[in-house]
Amino acid sequence: MAETARVAPMRIGEPVELLEISRAWLVDPVAEREGPGEIVVRDGVLEAMTWLAGDEAEGIGPDGVVVAPGFIDLHVHLREPGNEDAETVASGLAAAAHGGFTSVCAMANTTPAADEPGVFARVRGAAAVSGSPVELLLHGAVTVGRGGERLAALGELADAGAVGFSDDGSPVQSPVILRNALLYAGMLGVPLFEHAEDPALTAGAEANEGYVATVLGLKGWPVAAEVAAVERAIVVLGAVLPDAPGARLHLTHLSTAGALDAVRRAKAAGLPVTCDVTPHHLGLTDEWVAGARRWAWEALDGDGVARDPWADGALVAHPYATACKVNPPLRAAEDAAAVLAALVDGTADAVATDHAPHTQVDKEAEFGLAANGISGVETALGVLLAAVGARRLALGRAIEALTTGPAHVLGGRAGRRGEARGLVEGAAADLVVFDAGAGWTVTAAALTSRGTNTPLLGRELPGRVLLTVADGRLAYRDPEA
Amino acid sequence: MSAPAGPVGPSGLGAEVAWTQKHLLDVDVLSAAEISLVMKTTDAMKEILARPITKVPALRGRNVTIIFYEASTRTRVSFEVAAKNLSADVVNIAASASSVSKGESLVDTIRTIEALGAHMIVMRHGTSGAPYLAAEVFSGSVLNGGDGWHAHPSQALLDLYTMRAHLGDLRGRKVVILGDVLHSRVARSNVWTLTAMGADLWICGPTPILRGFDAWAARWANGRGPNGHGGFTVTSDVDAAVADADVVMALRLQRERMDAGLLPSLREYAARFGLTRERLAAAKPDALVMHPGPMNEGVEIAADVAVLDRSVITEQVANGVAVRMALLYLLSGVHGGAPEGAIGG
Repeated sequence: MAETARVAPMRIGEPVELLEISRAWLVDPVAEREGPGEIVVRDGVLEAMTWLAGDEAEGIGPDGVVVAPGFIDLHVHLREPGNEDAETVASGLAAAAHGGFTSVCAMANTTPAADEPGVFARVRGAAAVSGSPVELLLHGAVTVGRGGERLAALGELADAGAVGFSDDGSPVQSPVILRNALLYAGMLGVPLFEHAEDPALTAGAEANEGYVATVLGLKGWPVAAEVAAVERAIVVLGAVLPDAPGARLHLTHLSTAGALDAVRRAKAAGLPVTCDVTPHHLGLTDEWVAGARRWAWEALDGDGVARDPWADGALVAHPYATACKVNPPLRAAEDAAAVLAALVDGTADAVATDHAPHTQVDKEAEFGLAANGISGVETALGVLLAAVGARRLALGRAIEALTTGPAHVLGGRAGRRGEARGLVEGAAADLVVFDAGAGWTVTAAALTSRGTNTPLLGRELPGRVLLTVADGRLAYRDPEA
Repeated sequence: MSAPAGPVGPSGLGAEVAWTQKHLLDVDVLSAAEISLVMKTTDAMKEILARPITKVPALRGRNVTIIFYEASTRTRVSFEVAAKNLSADVVNIAASASSVSKGESLVDTIRTIEALGAHMIVMRHGTSGAPYLAAEVFSGSVLNGGDGWHAHPSQALLDLYTMRAHLGDLRGRKVVILGDVLHSRVARSNVWTLTAMGADLWICGPTPILRGFDAWAARWANGRGPNGHGGFTVTSDVDAAVADADVVMALRLQRERMDAGLLPSLREYAARFGLTRERLAAAKPDALVMHPGPMNEGVEIAADVAVLDRSVITEQVANGVAVRMALLYLLSGVHGGAPEGAIGG
């Protein structure tokens, strides 16, 4: 960074006095433009942004230092209150900044659940104390205690700034409650974030139903459990629209070709549906549970059929690594390819991490008994850049899915910067600077999150984040840059 | 695998490969040559078992801890007898009697067992993959005595030993596994060993409890299986499966399958899939009848079939001791430096 950047010394949380980056690759998803350029930030404001051309632009490419708007994560678990051993608001926001995120939306499945505004106040207090400039946005629970039976204080939560309603961790199981929640949330103009899973089909499930689970003797987690729940939610959405034209359904962490097809059809029919996908569902596959460690696109043969990791020597790690256990499960390579395709074609509006930190105690257990979840907010960019490097995804699309895509999902409730997630001259600087050409090794020590539960441990990822600036203030700075 | 020839211990084993496995967690890692080594070592153990005194000093001073998180009599006792025949010191832990009921984690339990001086652990666990977690934290060897639906290596190897004792080379021999394969670690391990040996393996049962095996067989069809493993056939047509079979192995059907809504009734299962004399008549005249036990006579196997001359069910139990002696012996590593004849008496 030394050759292209000048940065005044500063500490986390303080306004950025001066930051000059010359000869970088700028990505501005609002202007739908990317190319060589330079920026100057002074006293927290993006003072100047200049596109370079001709000789000045020579030698600058998307494989070097990249400047992009700060990322938004629609789906993280910060574990506070109730499970601070796994993560706190402070450690989660710091981890987000390391991942390039300047806004995160925390899920409501804390203990107690965020089913009334008092929990919001407590979480916001923790964020203020942390000193992190990363914007904390909050989802409220759909039902009291996420119990699925009675509606939570949706109106009060909306007044307190809820960006979405979700019982995530669990689906809204009753179709009656789902319908009523869509009607009420539609009245309030707040989207319903649904974790789509039919729990009857997943009772006791351990790994994606298919070849890997069969060979490993793990109870299958069927694709149908997600597809059925998505289809049902879409049908219910269609039924409430006449009464609640403001109803909005967002389907989070979709992992199957069938579910994404359903969203594709619903969008084509004009229904107000959006969805996100996670980096792990597009980059990793169920063969990781067996001990493979190759990217999803490397696990497909020329005909688009999943390879056999037992037959082709891809098994390099012990099977049953609980870091690979997640809900929804890592899917077959064909589904992972469909997830990536949905991101490419826009069916998936956003990439969200479903950052789910867990303690070692909760993960160091028998596979079937271990907690579900991957700590992912710090590795999202790296996984997406791996897909970019493999020419499966355009850099611009990856950045869109981390910025304007999620801002669009949040609509009018998209936080302090609204839906504009571009590089805006004269506004508070909100951006990430990363070196696409430099890698970093994912280790427990390199992660800021308290949750080191990621199957990517030990792996080198592309895209070292050098600097994250949120609302004009320093959120993260690479200690070695 | 073609490991260099080396001393493998007592004379008479004459094996071509050295035993390199520290643990035995699954049979999927065993090459055909390693499986042959187990078979030859089992031959030596059978000789010992034929003597008036069946005890040899091979594992003297070795501590073997047998921990079973699931109820089992025959496998646990078989391992205990095997270890004692080799003069190991044996500690038995039944899960209900251990600190499991106090909420201690598996990892803590294994560390405690190690601190108490165990050199080897034989483990039975209801969760697939649990022995891999034990192997990560235990410095000695872990022998999987059955985990969840996943693997039961010693059972598959004793099944193989029993088949070979009667049929010799299994290449092209038709072996049928009949029953609840979905929930069966015995079936999964037998898929690996029998396809490694070139048997013509058929998997048969009602479709709800065959789920996933069709896709598995499709993956391995046409020589696409992992190194050296042949394909296999999956069907719900019991008559086609049993026709001209050399071996028919019935699996236990548990009552819980009806409670889970997988099958209508034991009565209907017995009528459609039970191994009866009439069904067996379609097999080769001297076809072996096998069962890993415990049997539900009158359900998956008719009582009069279980006691036919060609039923080798009790022989499986007897061979189980010899196979487990062989596995404990190979895993103990004593063959490397032990004086010639450690098991030669």
